[in-house]
Amino acid sequence: MATMPASASDLLKSFKLKTKQQELLIRVSILCLVYILAFITRLFSVLRYESMIHEFDPYFNYRTTLYLTENGFYDFWNWFDYESWYPLGRIVGGTLYPGLMVTAVLIYRILRFLRFAVHIREVCVLTAPFFASNTTLVAYFFGKEIWDSGAGLVAAILIAVCPGYISRSVAGSYDNEGVAIFALLFTFYVFVKAVNTGSLAWSLASAFGYFYMVSAWGGYVFIINLIPLYVLVLLITGRYSMRLYVAYNCMYILGMLLAMQIRFVGFQHVQSGEHMAAMGVFFLMQVFYFLDWVKHMLSDTKLFQAFLRITVTSAVAVGGIALGLGMVSGYISPWTGRFYSLLDPTYAKDHIPIIASVSEHQPTAWSSFMFDFHILLFLFPAGLYFCFKRLSDATIFIVMYGLTSMYFAGVMVRLILVATPAVCLISAIAVSATVKNLTVLLRSKNKVVQTGSTKGSGGSKSSSKALLDQSQPFQKNGAIALLFGAFYLLSRYATHCTWVTSEAYSSPSIVLAARGAHGNRVIFDDYREAYFWLRQNTPQDAKVMSWWDYGYQITAMGNRTVIVDNNTWNNTHIATVGRAMSSYEDEAIEIIRSLDVDYVLVVFGGVTGYSSDDINKFLWMVRIGGGVFPVIKEPDYLVNGEYRVDKGAAPKMLNCLMYKLCYYRFGEMMTEYGKPPGYDRARGVEIGNKDVKLEHLEEAFTTSNWIVRIYRVKPPNNRW
Amino acid sequence: MAISYILLFILSFISISRFLVISKAGAESELVADLLTLQSQSESGVIHLNDRTVSKFITSTKTPRPYSLLIFFDAIPLHDKSDLRLPVLVHDFALVASSFIANHNGSNTKLFFCDLEFRESQSSFKLFDVNSLPNIYLVGPDAESLKDDTDQMEQSGFTRLTESLVEFIESRTQLTVGPIHHSPIISKKQMVLIIGFLLIWSPFAARKIFAGETMFHNPRIWLSGAIFVYFFSVSGAMHIIIRKMPMFLMDREDPNKLIFFYQGTGVQLGLEGFMVGFLYTIVGLLLAVVTHVLVYVKDLKTKRIGMLFSVFVSFWAVKQVIFLDNWKTRYAIHGFWPSRWN
Repeated sequence: MATMPASASDLLKSFKLKTKQQELLIRVSILCLVYILAFITRLFSVLRYESMIHEFDPYFNYRTTLYLTENGFYDFWNWFDYESWYPLGRIVGGTLYPGLMVTAVLIYRILRFLRFAVHIREVCVLTAPFFASNTTLVAYFFGKEIWDSGAGLVAAILIAVCPGYISRSVAGSYDNEGVAIFALLFTFYVFVKAVNTGSLAWSLASAFGYFYMVSAWGGYVFIINLIPLYVLVLLITGRYSMRLYVAYNCMYILGMLLAMQIRFVGFQHVQSGEHMAAMGVFFLMQVFYFLDWVKHMLSDTKLFQAFLRITVTSAVAVGGIALGLGMVSGYISPWTGRFYSLLDPTYAKDHIPIIASVSEHQPTAWSSFMFDFHILLFLFPAGLYFCFKRLSDATIFIVMYGLTSMYFAGVMVRLILVATPAVCLISAIAVSATVKNLTVLLRSKNKVVQTGSTKGSGGSKSSSKALLDQSQPFQKNGAIALLFGAFYLLSRYATHCTWVTSEAYSSPSIVLAARGAHGNRVIFDDYREAYFWLRQNTPQDAKVMSWWDYGYQITAMGNRTVIVDNNTWNNTHIATVGRAMSSYEDEAIEIIRSLDVDYVLVVFGGVTGYSSDDINKFLWMVRIGGGVFPVIKEPDYLVNGEYRVDKGAAPKMLNCLMYKLCYYRFGEMMTEYGKPPGYDRARGVEIGNKDVKLEHLEEAFTTSNWIVRIYRVKPPNNRW
Repeated sequence: MAISYILLFILSFISISRFLVISKAGAESELVADLLTLQSQSESGVIHLNDRTVSKFITSTKTPRPYSLLIFFDAIPLHDKSDLRLPVLVHDFALVASSFIANHNGSNTKLFFCDLEFRESQSSFKLFDVNSLPNIYLVGPDAESLKDDTDQMEQSGFTRLTESLVEFIESRTQLTVGPIHHSPIISKKQMVLIIGFLLIWSPFAARKIFAGETMFHNPRIWLSGAIFVYFFSVSGAMHIIIRKMPMFLMDREDPNKLIFFYQGTGVQLGLEGFMVGFLYTIVGLLLAVVTHVLVYVKDLKTKRIGMLFSVFVSFWAVKQVIFLDNWKTRYAIHGFWPSRWN
């Protein structure tokens, strides 16, 4: 064992001139491998299923991208989409973040220019993995800026496979977040770089990074609040510097002006309460600078303190009055519901059912953290500790980023995504510092240990151990054992990530997979079957009513007009659909006729055991409908507070439109051996109303596994 | 004023003999005046009834009465039973009452908010046939029998009492309640005081910040805050607060047994989260102890034992969490090794 390090160092000595180059070579090749790894680990979904767009929102993004490639940017910018939100329509250009689409089309154009004959769909499917690969590079440079290049490499590796990030960036999940996490991390990295160097060029770059982020995702609000908070903390802890002044002012002013060019954001930077913190800190910065200047001019400290008192008091007063006036006059809008629900987490549950109904807006349980971060969770506090032991402007930033995003991740499951880069970086610091010290201990002889450890990051596990274990004979063996332990943990992490990616996060959710009785994989392709049926068999101008979850898919794949879709901008409209679904048929038909609906589409999992179907979502329809129309009352659908569909269900439940449409003809069907006909496999009960008769609607199409059922609205009876 | 109004009203609409009208109206207006004084005596506007006043205002008056009474049934001995939430309901009821009175500028004589207490008015409880709490009854102007002619509010309304009570009143009495006046957390006076205090305090704070003497300059405080935020998030405390999850559950089959761990993703119990959050945190904390406390211990043996102890505890914590996670989510996570390795 003892000869090993000696021979290694001999080897190094013989190539002494090339050590730097060797290191560079190793680093670059590791980065290349990580880059490829980040890409290919996200291809599970393509291998398992096929190259297709996943889930709900990506279908809208895909549809708009298609429009952009076909009609060009200006038509896209002015697009009025009459196929959704019938009869209102939607001004698409002014109500979306165009960053993702423009990026995909740019990649598409470049590939075309290079004579690669690709289809835009392939570009869309692979955009998220491509950007995930780019994120690993940014993570490397960020880690290098905060700690050292070793930490950067580890951070790149960790983020490449971290499930928290993979969940939103597998091939086919063509959504804003895929691009936005890259933009977020890039902006942060460049800003920290700007603070560290005080260079105008870097702060300019961070302004452009911010612009890209604003164009890509609504989560930019996190940046525009975190950076001022960071600056404020630096000011409070007495770390104000000229570098900070240059970096923040340039980034804020330019970033704000650039962000105003995005139509969906518009003048919010100067008008909405969510952005006021940034502006306040901007003015505070000027006050600080001014005070510094006065202090420089006034030699007398007493005079300066008196001056300080007056200026600070008047500055705070003026700021408060301005904010109050802005709020009262309505010029500055108060916080939006989504933002408010982050600060006061119980707000959404009581006030905004449309936010509370989305599964990714639920508060996070500990198992979700474990699922998405695994070993990183244990390393995070250690990394925090290392950061505090070597406080600098950069480490303060990463600590603040880590903590704020961790808090938000606790409020909403989907925000784990935002926390992932920070967790990876902080954990990487812990891993890198520990491993580095252990290897230093291994490679050096006893006498050198002391100097080596004080040179290295002081205050790490092994360096102090080295100091105390001077005389111990086991220290090298101990270090080896600890190293093995670390690698064992990291390999477990890799295993966990691969399994999670493959089994949990690569499902397109438009094609469902289940295990058959013999362990084989069964594929249910009912959604696409239904949408293609709509496209082929219904009139071009048919209007389809469904719950909003399926709106984007129907317009993108079925090419038919929908009443509501996943862009939940008009609560009343959604509530109208919810009301129709939860009324008796003859009341519902009035609403359906008033909305000019030709087809009604429901999703039903009773035959296959698919649990996220409309019956399970039904209570939300009642709640959202009842929020606008008080005639709909939730207790009418419950029995003693319990939601049931069997014989003991509430009478209103058994006769509402949604129940009828889902269970029409279901009572005569055998679903499982040894169970009575009409046995609902998703809820595990025999249904309560087997004799469903429809009066104003007729069944038009039911897919092979009954997952999607489409009904035609009968024309009114002829009146004589 | 009120007397003459009612007089005019009744004179123009009811054609019975003049004396009778005056005497009846006189009796009724007296009752209304009594109710108004009782209402003004109570702080929230809720009239406290007892057996005597129930008979005075309800049972011994002739129908139709010129007013409706909304009665909240209360029992002080049951206030400490947390599942009944009586104190909260009392508060909400009073809130609706005071808002109603304020919205009508105290000139309302159609509807009065009352409460009844079980210990002092047991016979009234019998009259209404109330056996369970919480309960709210509306005694309309025409109600003769308190058992049959009164409107009872549905039990489901008690989860969000203010909203459902407003709905109940508006649907049954055709009176509008108007906006509910929630009392602000900070009153205006306090607000002015706080702003004044902040204004005076800010220069002193600014000076200290410039001098670098505040506790914000102490990294230890930041560190402990950071660890706390971390612990708070990963233990799912937000989940517990938002979903109002209990700390643990009672086993339905065996009441002596407590359930601490709940199987199923996306749901967790309180203590479960804190336990796992503690396990998450302890590894990092042990590392800190080893590197910054253990170093100063002089005795070599203690050092070694401390080292070994922390290594084993860390190992155990990681193993325990992974085991719990697999149990909770029911996932069998495995590597994708080549099949011939098996």
